[in-house]
Amino acid sequence: MTLEVALKVFRYKAGQPARYDTFRVRVPHTASVLDAIEAAWAQHDRSLTFRHACHHASCGSCAMRIDGREKLPCITPVRDVWRGRGDLRIEPLRNFPIVSDLVVDVSGFFQRMSTSGMVITRTAESYLPVAAGAADGRPRDARSVTLPEGVARVNRFENCIECGICISACPTMAASDKFMGPAALAGIYRARLEAPDEAESTRLLGFADGEHGVWRCHSGWECTEACPQGVDPAGAIMLLRRDLVKHRIRKLFGR
Amino acid sequence: MSPPHVIIIGAGSTGAATAHDLALRGLRVTVIERGEVASGTTGRNHCLLHSGGRYCVKDQESAIECIDENMILRRIMPDVLELNDGLFVAVTEDDLAFKEKFLGGCEACRIPARDLPLQRAFEVEPLLNPKTLAAVQVPDGVFEPFRFCLAFLATARRNGAIVRTYCEVNEVTRSGQSVTGVTFVDHRTGKTETIGADIVVNATGPWAGEIAEMAGVDVPVSPTAGVMVTVGKRLNNMVVNRLNKPSDGDIVVPQRTTSIIGTTSWAVGDPDLIPIPQEHVDKMFQQGEMLLPGIRQAPLRGVMAVARPLISKGGVDEREVSRTFECFDHKRDGIDGFVTISGGKTTTARAMAEKVSDMVCHKLGIEAECRTRDAPLASYRLFYQ
Amino acid sequence: MATQLQSSRLRRTAQWADVRRRGMGMWAYTLNRVTGIGLLVYLYLHLVVLSMLAGGPDMWDPFVNLARSPLFLALDVILIAGWLIHGLNGIRVTLTGLGFGTRSQKSLFVGLMLIAGIGTVVMGIMVFGS
Repeated sequence: MTLEVALKVFRYKAGQPARYDTFRVRVPHTASVLDAIEAAWAQHDRSLTFRHACHHASCGSCAMRIDGREKLPCITPVRDVWRGRGDLRIEPLRNFPIVSDLVVDVSGFFQRMSTSGMVITRTAESYLPVAAGAADGRPRDARSVTLPEGVARVNRFENCIECGICISACPTMAASDKFMGPAALAGIYRARLEAPDEAESTRLLGFADGEHGVWRCHSGWECTEACPQGVDPAGAIMLLRRDLVKHRIRKLFGR
Repeated sequence: MSPPHVIIIGAGSTGAATAHDLALRGLRVTVIERGEVASGTTGRNHCLLHSGGRYCVKDQESAIECIDENMILRRIMPDVLELNDGLFVAVTEDDLAFKEKFLGGCEACRIPARDLPLQRAFEVEPLLNPKTLAAVQVPDGVFEPFRFCLAFLATARRNGAIVRTYCEVNEVTRSGQSVTGVTFVDHRTGKTETIGADIVVNATGPWAGEIAEMAGVDVPVSPTAGVMVTVGKRLNNMVVNRLNKPSDGDIVVPQRTTSIIGTTSWAVGDPDLIPIPQEHVDKMFQQGEMLLPGIRQAPLRGVMAVARPLISKGGVDEREVSRTFECFDHKRDGIDGFVTISGGKTTTARAMAEKVSDMVCHKLGIEAECRTRDAPLASYRLFYQ
Repeated sequence: MATQLQSSRLRRTAQWADVRRRGMGMWAYTLNRVTGIGLLVYLYLHLVVLSMLAGGPDMWDPFVNLARSPLFLALDVILIAGWLIHGLNGIRVTLTGLGFGTRSQKSLFVGLMLIAGIGTVVMGIMVFGS
């Protein structure tokens, strides 16, 4: 079973005015939006530029706006966002400079992620998010599961895939060139949980302080709403604020 | 005198690792990639940091390459790997009969393997098929192919390499029987450019044949596609493999909070657009259930397919073709200044790069040793800065 | 690097006003901004009105008649609504903004706006009833 969908894709090349191109593609009914965009590129226009790599939401590179909403097209089925008639609008992320078509400039974003200190793999969890359940059918406490021999500590990739969707959704990011942004601030929160000692944790807390850090957030909660990985950056920002207030109060009382 | 200039076509794992190797040896490098980094085969790979176990019986050359490179990658890119080891599990009597051969193969290839008592296997993998008859632990790991490539390229850029993405090569320029550079269209602007080079390296994976044709030579690459299914729940802590000969759906790779079942194998004509057969998706769930019951109930996250660059040996079943790699110096075909590196897998990208970089330096008459075994890679984030 | 495209400063700064395809958090955000501006405008008008007191009964009495008209009373109810929305949501922002109840920020918004709604109706009855 296939469906024929009309993609209305944002186009921009340097030196030319921006426009929208409509591509009609026929794809399997189980296809993802990225599959449809790839079909448009392969069959209609090789000059269409778009970022993609892993096709299973681990690289974060394909983030864009589908019908006005920030999504990862690789895990968004066409059926989920297209009613069967009309065009499906495909646009680049907001709040990033546009290089061409759907490709945006992520250099500033990655600079902020570097500053946040977040490492893309986490080791602070006592065990991995495998639903606990023994072979004999009785539920087990995940922490009682032992580590494989020879494996000193378990580690796994972070929930955050650095896709930039939260940046696009954030109203403060739109208005401010210097705001650190939800991803980097949530990154600081994670980095502190992984920090080897108190001194490092406090140093990272300092990065979140300041007029372009956590205090610049205006509680739009769009970042948490749009995040495809359940990172909850807004929650992380609020918890950092709580820590900063506690820290300041302690300092005030000389502790 | 400025150092020789090498153009590498393709920013997948092969191109990225080669750029890093050559830049480290002091050569001037430009990488030309028609899309985003790793947007070809590498991006959609299964993310398995091979221990070599899968090949230790029938393809020992590949197995040894894998375990060697596995250990090197752990040293040079520790922060972008999940290192929880892997299991090869027997769920049928036929699987169990394979165990002796498997353990022998691991020993022959120097792959550290541990035959686990069953109770222990269920302790470390609570959701393993209760009918499991045996489990062998091996040093499998998990990577992210995109950040893998970014790390190599970030390091190469730091050493002076230039990376041009969204630039599609449409001509390999020649002067007589020598390749002199490439002409490409920069899709960001629509403008065409020509860049000269002393050597052009074709690192385009399943498209190697298309690029070679532009240079007037033939490369025996058969694009062979495979389907992988990702579910939105992590059912295994470690990589879980089927203990038997290679077959469809013989592995489930965990990654952050997801699990990836793979894979299948069939020859395709056009690697640009691969239709995904529903039977392959169904088979992945079927085979996945044999290893981790309950995987069928997990929410479907994504289905991906991409073509492997297998080097065709003519008339051989795809599963039997060696997964090792090969370098082709096309001087033997009458065209100088053009080299193709193909086959292989992302786990062995660094070794592939070493081989082709040795060939490139030899052709240019340069004495420069490979230093990539020990040089730690820069942060992948630096690629975009 | 090729020339990059970026929307105008004005467009980006005004992005918050478009709540289409946005979550509940953005509705709360926009509502707070709009009621905030509204309350500010009201404050100015209120001071202008109070300055009329300096003009003695000739200036004040006609205004009091106007203040009793149904249109004016309706505006008063709108003012009350704005005050309730802004105040109650403000409590939510203060609480969640320091990390308390972050996971229930949506239900908190719904609950508080229901209270604001009921409050407006009750006050409205009182205003028109007197």
